[in-house]
Amino acid sequence: MSVHVSTLQARISGESTASSPLSTEEYFVNMGPQHPSTHGVLRLVLRLDGETVREVVPVLGYIHRGIEKMGEHGNYRQFVHLVDRMDYLSALANNWAVTMVVEKAAKMETNDRIQAIRTLVCELQRIQSHQLWWGVFGMDLGAFTPFFYGLRDREQICDIFEKTIGARLTMNYIQPGGVMYDIHPDFVKDVKAFLTYFKSKMPEYDALMTENVIIQERLRGIGKLSAERAIALGATGPVLRASGVAHDLRKSEPYGLYSQVDFDVPVGTTGDCWDRYWVRMEEMRQSVRIVEQLIDNIPEGKTFLVKPAAKIKVPAGVHYSHVETARGVLGVLLVSNGKDAPYRIHCRTPNFNNLWCIGEMATGGRIGDLVATLSSIDIVVPDIDR
Amino acid sequence: MGVITDNLPGVLEPLPGGSVLVTAVDQLINWSRSNSLWPLTFGTSCCAIEMMMATGAARHDMARFGAEVARPSPRQADLLVIAGTIVKRMAPRLRTLYEQMAEPRYVMATGSCAICGGPFMYHSYTTIRGADEIIPVDVYVPGCPPRPEAFFYGLLTLQKMIREGESIRHPGERRRPVLAALPEGMTLDDIRKEMQDLLSHDANVNMTEAAAEGAHYSAELKDF
Repeated sequence: MSVHVSTLQARISGESTASSPLSTEEYFVNMGPQHPSTHGVLRLVLRLDGETVREVVPVLGYIHRGIEKMGEHGNYRQFVHLVDRMDYLSALANNWAVTMVVEKAAKMETNDRIQAIRTLVCELQRIQSHQLWWGVFGMDLGAFTPFFYGLRDREQICDIFEKTIGARLTMNYIQPGGVMYDIHPDFVKDVKAFLTYFKSKMPEYDALMTENVIIQERLRGIGKLSAERAIALGATGPVLRASGVAHDLRKSEPYGLYSQVDFDVPVGTTGDCWDRYWVRMEEMRQSVRIVEQLIDNIPEGKTFLVKPAAKIKVPAGVHYSHVETARGVLGVLLVSNGKDAPYRIHCRTPNFNNLWCIGEMATGGRIGDLVATLSSIDIVVPDIDR
Repeated sequence: MGVITDNLPGVLEPLPGGSVLVTAVDQLINWSRSNSLWPLTFGTSCCAIEMMMATGAARHDMARFGAEVARPSPRQADLLVIAGTIVKRMAPRLRTLYEQMAEPRYVMATGSCAICGGPFMYHSYTTIRGADEIIPVDVYVPGCPPRPEAFFYGLLTLQKMIREGESIRHPGERRRPVLAALPEGMTLDDIRKEMQDLLSHDANVNMTEAAAEGAHYSAELKDF
């Protein structure tokens, strides 16, 4: 961290780069770590000229818990519950990322029922995560009603998860060798009831925010990110797709049952805040489509193929696997020395790369647009710091 | 509040019936304090989402308990809900936030991380093992993360504590109601009996069994 601080100090003490005769003296504003719009304990140092943002530098580490290092102290099964706490809004996808790399490396078998359940719960959680983002995004723009609407509908999915999984947020459900429990007898009925309910509520979302002239005027043309810069910065997920790059691991490298279902990858054109908003709204509809296709066709079979207490041994070497969470690509790199505990684990988290696009998006814009831009990236801070 | 708490008891107490009045004023102040808690919007990780569900979602609706006015500035808030892990880098900032809040201030530690470090208790090189190492905590709400209902139970316990707690005669001293967090129907005698049973059970140790158990563990550790 000391390197980072010294560059900050150099910037603060450095000469002003203001060149226009109308520009004023530059100054610095510290945003966070205690700030309602940074969604956690993120700190941004802003270099401002009047109301124009000249530079945004994120400062990290306020929730760094050393999850990667902790992974070396337990076995593979014990690492799964730690990744729940990274991106807690995509806990199931995080579980799946670790599970996938362990299963691939140890050559463990799964069956179609396990893959169908995993795909279903991950898509349900994608809807849940986008609902929360939608509510909080509305609140950051100054509208309070979306917050109530989004959380009201999110509770329905929480109920479904509670019945099957037993938890509302940190699931620890998808494990190497299967899923922890079989689905609840009411699962299919509940999901169908939710889909009917949610499809009737989507027009309400649209009437409130999407078709709202104030929201459209507020979001169009701010926080632009070009496709070239998005790829160069390593952005993934809705942030990349809003810039016009149709990259989705569910399509390009299908895992689970994604190759058997029919869905579209929504893509934006200009990469501004409005495109990011629109891409997420469209993704919710696509997730509903995926769930609809799978919910009637869950195959029969076992849901856990190994003994829960069995030790998993991964062959020595470097293994990598990645999944598409609600925020982008989560990759897990595993270095194994052949024992039952990992030698080194590294997580390539989507939020870290997406956050660093804020410099590209906000520079040159107004400070009033900064919160809208930051909120449109949809960051989860513990996933950045790990 | 300063004028009232500093001067009022001295003026009232010598009067006939004055002490009764002081107690009545005590109760009035505590009652109003307990029903108008202003929480600070502070959350570091997962528990913050469940707290958002508790405040925002219509199903839970914290406004029922008079605590829905969440303030982003610590100077306007009097309830600090520590929702999430506190790491070494955040610890001084948390202390600053607590110091900036106006008296009387109350602290709730929600979630295992804020209580003892939770899942990050072992092998983590940054986590603070419990927020009470930095600031005094009034109520602990266990869970990882606690459900909104558990959060409300903690809030009700805190309200009970405030109502029964501080008095003008002894400002700053908080009496913690022991029975506040007990399930319904449980009495102090039940707890005493349970404690005695536990003690008698723990006092009788079978040394051979304990030694065998220890050997088993050490063998497992060596293997690990």
